[in-house]
Amino acid sequence: MTTSNARSLDERAAFLEMKAREVRKAIVEMVHSAQSGHCGGSLSAADFVTALYFDLMDIDPAEPRKPGRDRFVLSKGHACPVWYAALALRGYFPAEELSTLRRNDSRLQGHPVATYLPGIDATSGSLGLGFGQALGMALDARLSGRKNTVYAVLGDGELNEGVVWETAAQAAKYRLDNLVAVVDRNNLQNDGRADVIMPMEPIDKKFEAFNWRVLEMDGHDMRQVLSTLEKARERSGRPTCVIARTIKGKGVSFMEDKREWHGKPPSDEERRRACEEIEGRTP
Amino acid sequence: MSLPPAKVPTRRAIMDRLVEAAKEDPSFVVLDSDIGYSTYSYLFGDAFPDRYFNLGIAELGTMAAAAGLAADGRTVFVCGYGVFLTMRALEAVRSFVCYPHLNVKILSSHAGVTAAIDGVTHQATEDLAFMSTLPNMTVLAPCDSSSARAAFDLARNTPGPVYVRLMRDPLKEVYAPETTFRVGGSHTPRRGKDVTIACLGDMVIQAIEASELLAAEGISAEVLDLYSLKPWDEAGLAESLDRTGALLAAENHQRRNGLGYELAAWCMRNGRSVPFSQAGLADTFAESGAYGKTLEKFGMDAAALARAARELVSRK
Ligand SMILES: Cc1ncc(C[n+]2csc(CCOP(=O)(O)OP(=O)(O)O)c2C)c(N)n1
Ligand SMILES: [Mg+2]
Repeated sequence: MTTSNARSLDERAAFLEMKAREVRKAIVEMVHSAQSGHCGGSLSAADFVTALYFDLMDIDPAEPRKPGRDRFVLSKGHACPVWYAALALRGYFPAEELSTLRRNDSRLQGHPVATYLPGIDATSGSLGLGFGQALGMALDARLSGRKNTVYAVLGDGELNEGVVWETAAQAAKYRLDNLVAVVDRNNLQNDGRADVIMPMEPIDKKFEAFNWRVLEMDGHDMRQVLSTLEKARERSGRPTCVIARTIKGKGVSFMEDKREWHGKPPSDEERRRACEEIEGRTP
Repeated sequence: MSLPPAKVPTRRAIMDRLVEAAKEDPSFVVLDSDIGYSTYSYLFGDAFPDRYFNLGIAELGTMAAAAGLAADGRTVFVCGYGVFLTMRALEAVRSFVCYPHLNVKILSSHAGVTAAIDGVTHQATEDLAFMSTLPNMTVLAPCDSSSARAAFDLARNTPGPVYVRLMRDPLKEVYAPETTFRVGGSHTPRRGKDVTIACLGDMVIQAIEASELLAAEGISAEVLDLYSLKPWDEAGLAESLDRTGALLAAENHQRRNGLGYELAAWCMRNGRSVPFSQAGLADTFAESGAYGKTLEKFGMDAAALARAARELVSRK
């Protein structure tokens, strides 16, 4: 799939930056339409999710369950607007369906449900337990002799869950170097600053102590995102944790780094301002 | 006769009472797992920071900590979403809170499909089954602000573990503020003679609306609010069935192992063979959506209760 490798890093990054704007706009519009959902954590993950879906992952929207495909698990399932947006824009299902988010009879449930939508392999929303499913997928790939990579996206607050560290130990025991955990380090969780609600630093040292390889990146610098995630999927004999330094609500100035925007829908006026900003129509 | 709208959800009403009570009673503590802005436990945390412990997104460890804090008799309120408190933390609730009979009070929000919009992972639709199955556990399910405030005092004053089931959205007010409630008690907000709708939580509101629909067609439905599910008011049900001779059990929960199964078993034990049916989730998961539409889709709205009641009356 990644014929894009022939292009320069700059070209790829420029394309992805444009796509990430479309993803961000879709997130805001979807949550506005539902008047419910999580903008903040969707926007913080928008750049690396876009890079995975539009460049890095070996996937085929025409054949969503192709056996050797790379897997993506959104362990922080509340951020599913970013996933739904990426899937729709990548062609897994019609983009018009995005406006049905959280409505009765919709395939776009409040938290992601496996098999409801093409492209979604793991149910999540209850924090901590998507990661274990990703570990199972990595074991399954190894058992089946498949070469694919499994990506799991975790919130920094999600790291509070003890079960995350069970999975971390298990992955290291089996040297699952086909497993990549991306931690969305936006330093906010539901009740406030992640560092205050439950200090988890040093996160890098914790994963290293669990025998993981740890990489870090600026989660909003597309060139860094590309080069770091490319490195992450190289087999190293150990599972890899990528710490993405991000800003919750990134791309919409009034949402950026604000606790309130964890799970609040934008009003009509806020939606308008947000979309203008994302499209670059305001300074 | 329609019920006045509630200004606050039950999850908020109980927390306002908790903060009031904390001013006179310095002994109890409150735990939350990073969901304090949703449970409103932050109101307590802001007023009494020394007695408030936000233990991060870690429901199982939080429940174990509650058991430790309560080990010498202290009262501990644990706040969170019902799904996580009754499932991820279930073993700690069973073996380390209920078994040693500790004063841990679980204030559990997002009951049934009152959390409809968030989807199945956030809907506590099996919590009554889990909690009422545990020995030593008292289970309360208020329907409005007055009963939620009362549930706080019942939880605090009842020795041992108590589970209080709370709702996400503000619905209606059913009871006057001075109404009294007791563990093992019930209320009959509507009297009737043709059929009893036994219910709890938000289903009380749907049942009252159903009784109004039925009244228009000449069916007199009694609404029996079993706000205390464990222990529950067996004498109250017996009297009600003496009057009506038909029973509909309505719960925003799985039909299995909740209110309906409890009442059906009681009817069998006591030789009460009355026409009986249930409203609730019929061995299925619900889905995301608007609360009202979701109730309708899964047969728990007033119209569905009225249909079920009508059918029971026709079987008498
Ligand atoms: C087991 C569990 N407990 C609690 C919640 C409620 N909840 C949803 S999002 C959230 C905060 C998540 O913070 P973080 O992981 O940092 O996500 P992000 O900042 O990326 O949105 C909480 C507590 C949940 N979904 N699952
Ligand atoms: Mg975070």
